[in-house]
Amino acid sequence: MKRILCILAVTASAAHADETSRAAKIDFNRDIRPILSDACFHCHGPDRNVRKAGLRLDLREEAIKPAESGEIPIVPGQPDKSEFVQRILTDDKDDLMPPPKAHKALTFAQKERLKQWIAEGAEYQIHWAYLPIQRPNVPAANLHPVDAFIRQRLSVENLQAAAEADKVTLIRRLTLDLTGLPPTPAEVDAFVNDAAPDAYERLVDRLLASPHYGERMTVDWMDAARFADTNGYQVDRDRTLHAWRDWVIQAFNDNKPFDQFTVEQIAGDLLPNATLEQRIATGFNRNHMINEEGGITPEEFLAEYTADRVETTATVWLAQTFNCARCHDHKFDPFTQNDFYSLKAFFHNVSENGVGDYGRPPQLSSPPFLSLPTPEVSAKIASLKAEIEAAKQEHASAAKELAEAVKEQPQAAKDQPSPAKDKAQAAKERLAKLTKSLADLENTVPVTLVMDEGKPRDTFILRRGVFDQPGEKVAATTPSSLPPMRGDLPRNRLGLARWLVDPANPLPARVTVNRYWQMLFGTGLVRTAEDFGSQGEPPSHPELVDWLASEFISSGWNTKAMLRMLVTSATYRQSSKQLPAAHERDPDNRLLARGPRFRLQGEFVRDQALAVSGLLVRKIGGPSVKPYHPPGLYEQVVNQKDNPKATYTQDKGEALHRRSLYTYWKRSVPNPAMLLFDAPFRETCTLRRPRTNTPLQALNLLNDPTYVEAARFLAQRMLREGGDYSESRLEFGFRLVTARSPRPAEMEILRASLERTLRDFRSDPAGAAMLLKVGEAATDAALDVVELASYTALASTLLNLDETVMRE
Amino acid sequence: MNTQPFHEITRRQFLGRASAGIGAAALASLLNPTPSAALGVAGLPHFAPKAKRVIWLTQAGAPSQLDLFDFKPGLREQFDKDLPASVRNGQRVTGMTAGQARFPIAPSVFEFKQHGKAGHWLSELLPHTARIADELCIVRSMNTEAINHDPAMTMLQTGSQVPGRPSFGSWMAYGLGSENANLPAFVVMISRPSGNGNAQPLHERMWSSGFLSARYQGVRFSPGKDPVLFLSNPPGITTERRRAMLNDIAGLNRLKLDEYQDPEIQVRIDQYEMAFRMQASVPELADLSREPASMFERYGPESRKPGTFAANCILARRLAERGVRFIQLYHRGWDQHSDLPEHIRTQCYDTDQPSAALVEDLKQRGMLEDTLVIWGGEFGRSVYSQGQLTAKTYGRDHHPRCFSVWLAGGGVKPGAQFGETDDFSYNVVKDPVHIHDLNATALHLLGVDHTRLTVRHQGRDYRLTDVHGEVVKPILA
Repeated sequence: MKRILCILAVTASAAHADETSRAAKIDFNRDIRPILSDACFHCHGPDRNVRKAGLRLDLREEAIKPAESGEIPIVPGQPDKSEFVQRILTDDKDDLMPPPKAHKALTFAQKERLKQWIAEGAEYQIHWAYLPIQRPNVPAANLHPVDAFIRQRLSVENLQAAAEADKVTLIRRLTLDLTGLPPTPAEVDAFVNDAAPDAYERLVDRLLASPHYGERMTVDWMDAARFADTNGYQVDRDRTLHAWRDWVIQAFNDNKPFDQFTVEQIAGDLLPNATLEQRIATGFNRNHMINEEGGITPEEFLAEYTADRVETTATVWLAQTFNCARCHDHKFDPFTQNDFYSLKAFFHNVSENGVGDYGRPPQLSSPPFLSLPTPEVSAKIASLKAEIEAAKQEHASAAKELAEAVKEQPQAAKDQPSPAKDKAQAAKERLAKLTKSLADLENTVPVTLVMDEGKPRDTFILRRGVFDQPGEKVAATTPSSLPPMRGDLPRNRLGLARWLVDPANPLPARVTVNRYWQMLFGTGLVRTAEDFGSQGEPPSHPELVDWLASEFISSGWNTKAMLRMLVTSATYRQSSKQLPAAHERDPDNRLLARGPRFRLQGEFVRDQALAVSGLLVRKIGGPSVKPYHPPGLYEQVVNQKDNPKATYTQDKGEALHRRSLYTYWKRSVPNPAMLLFDAPFRETCTLRRPRTNTPLQALNLLNDPTYVEAARFLAQRMLREGGDYSESRLEFGFRLVTARSPRPAEMEILRASLERTLRDFRSDPAGAAMLLKVGEAATDAALDVVELASYTALASTLLNLDETVMRE
Repeated sequence: MNTQPFHEITRRQFLGRASAGIGAAALASLLNPTPSAALGVAGLPHFAPKAKRVIWLTQAGAPSQLDLFDFKPGLREQFDKDLPASVRNGQRVTGMTAGQARFPIAPSVFEFKQHGKAGHWLSELLPHTARIADELCIVRSMNTEAINHDPAMTMLQTGSQVPGRPSFGSWMAYGLGSENANLPAFVVMISRPSGNGNAQPLHERMWSSGFLSARYQGVRFSPGKDPVLFLSNPPGITTERRRAMLNDIAGLNRLKLDEYQDPEIQVRIDQYEMAFRMQASVPELADLSREPASMFERYGPESRKPGTFAANCILARRLAERGVRFIQLYHRGWDQHSDLPEHIRTQCYDTDQPSAALVEDLKQRGMLEDTLVIWGGEFGRSVYSQGQLTAKTYGRDHHPRCFSVWLAGGGVKPGAQFGETDDFSYNVVKDPVHIHDLNATALHLLGVDHTRLTVRHQGRDYRLTDVHGEVVKPILA
């Protein structure tokens, strides 16, 4: 069995590699760099410390000059005279390259390709991602630009684009993609009945204007920013950063241009006259884990936090694997260890401690933070401060009076009570009481973690990445292989932020449009959304990436406009039904001869169930909430000092039914249902989630009280709003969940199921009553128990359909 | 190198291709979907394995090697004397003792004796372990770099102090797959100490699949109604009702499959069937009521209490019998910074008898030879006392430079010992074994070359042992 799979996997990946149609002539970036990078650069690449035999194959001028041995590795045009070719072809195990112990054996086809490349002159190219963005011409003027590029490739491959999906499928797809929520039946009807030619475009605009659009976009950004409600290490106490999360929601809803969105999050505090909101935005770089463990060395964790900021910034905006350069020069991409620490220097001046103060209340353990008091609390603080000031003066004068009074008195009289003494004592007590009141009040004020510029710290290269092995001192600069910072930019985080969104920087626009593509099509044009380096996967449609990136910049980094552009393409609107011919040729659908069909993110699986059942509380923002959670998970693992009962304390009321992005995220015990649906731990930046399909997900959707309760409320809606007949009720429930009406064969199954379940529960009303007790929200007590339970079972079936958890 | 850590992609392509030809359903049932991929990576194992599975008895918090395994008779004379500076040699200590004026030597208050033909020196705290001395291979030269719990446990589990890499069990689930279609390949069970000692928290990340697909994540088995999350049907939904509902779901999904031809739909149909089978197989597994009384006597009085280390040891054997690849038990409570002699007694009461019983039980069933059992924590403890030292009590700080573990079965040399520490159990003086070496050795016993089980992530090929690790050949049988 294993062998069969292996063969098939190889076939599949070969098909994949051949996806880029191969012209007769070798293209270095497409055909050669991936081989050299994977098989050779580790020992013959950018990392000077491990370079073998002084040979570098990542630079042409190095590869064509005589090596230490005197042999010439690559003689352009003459593979037979190239030592490189002899070494990859030889049968002598001692001479063979790559050496057998590296487990990087080249295939016959790869060797042939390398020979052909040298025969054709061994031309090199700069890795595609570092080249300036060139705006290509749109291949067909009469087509939507996206379609023009996609169809051009399809026609080369002799494939046809699929037909447009029906309107019901389209509105569900679009609503889920842009808001993470399903359309209501009324919205579906309105769209289906809207015959105007711009009906679709108006639908897009309505959804982009929905406040839930910002929530949907924020889910992905929270993964990128590694947002969580706890510190992550060891005792894993709470922190408060939801003000930052709410800032992100608002920023997306306001369509804040992506360059401004970037600058405010990286350096909002350094903007002239920074607003409160701009300072809150800098919480982006405080989302990393924080250690409060007794006995740790602050410098060690300061090194972790700053490294995390470098790696996150490099991943989110540059899609470069900078973490590789923390301990040594990058093995594959042109980044040195010096580049890593020079970038770190930008993030190194924060007035933070390296270790959280476990003695303080959790929210105050890790400065710097901003206090966010309500106006009433602000006023109260101000008045307490004024009172304290007055009490201090009163105390001082009382103390002075007392001193005067007792100056000339004998010792015996000094010890006697006196009015002056009482007065001084009272003033002292009053001052202490006020000071405590202020401290108590300030401890209750919500805060949010932010960045600031404290006392500048020197930054050193850390040898092997170890915190107590400092090497050479470095200054804050951007990586030398990327376009330099403009001379007028300050050498601080603000300068770094402006450099990130400088149109001359080829990466951020490419990386960002690719992520938007991934969000809508399931897979990026560059599949490795987090790695645009030479070990990442090359783009399936390189010209389209550049056209979109250039369009994004020239639109003023307009995110909504970019999304609108993508979803109005015919490519996006295609049906996702599989056609055998296209599937055989392109099983991963990278060429997009049909629309992609993929599973909803875990958050949206739950949000959808809450929405269709009518339970969803559509409040935006605020502190994170604790909905239903299986018992026993905290008890086994959490720290009992801070949580003596060692348990998850579930919230009540509307907190149970908020959207999932507001669910409390404890890093040591993340919400288990979300983990089952591939949410990351939020310990490090994540730009791409896997999409698994497992039995544990089935158990979750079938048995989690969240879904059993949602099924009960969906059943209630079917009974109350679905008309008087079982068929109309079933149809209504089916439409709520899938947006479409069931077909006759489906209705047949549903009807038989309902009849069976009604019969069954009629003979077991106690069982029916038990099912209705799951979950805390009350359904209408007047509804018949057997009927409601039967429809609940049916609703649960609907919530478990493949179609329900997919967007198609 | 496998460029497709998300195994289902391969599956998907396989099913996709297959569905064009023969019936997708027939093939999918052939593929036998499981919570962790059943299949593992093609080409694995690399060579004939000695061990088919691992039971890792993880002692969280770091047990004191000085009071259990690493006998230092010479320390009795050194009571309360300062640890010679030449021994510490300026090495890093934690912030908890860095401020101490002195580093007074605290000899163990416990008696040590030699046991078995092997002549293993073991403390009086381990009478049951002593009984199985001849099965054990004791390594006294373990070492790590991490000095704090969280990074150290992350290191022990994933081969890196930095969070985000797959744990050992996930590597195995990914690489070797499952031998049981109805159970996950990687199961985790956690117990808390019966005493009131300091129980350091654990993190889900320690058994996470890191950048591998989430399907290789360790599945936590808990005591109580739902040994696996969301396993039980809600009240009012009987097994018969659930079966009928699943038939409805499958019927509707099949109509969808006909229309869309997406092989993912077939996978979902199969996963719902698997979920149903787990609803039967997991409670059967977790139900100890049919174990004979003699079994509870063997594993000790705590073994009748669900959720204890002892009960988990019985479950571990039951999981092993059913072909689960990687069974990881965590017992918390070893972090004895103060009052060590008192707290370590209860820890040993919790763990000594069941650990020994498990080895004996496996042996009697003929399973020890292909089951590798590993017992140990994330680092060791210091010879110098943390806090006040008296004739009766002391505390010990974290100590990464040496610690002890034992291994049994699975192709390990029984009755062997390996590695030595200096007279203070401070530095390793002979045959150091790093965590990477231990992991490399365990993988070797499973038939896996640790340098060849790699997965591409962020452009780099990662492996459990990073760029380190040597198989410790002398301890192989």
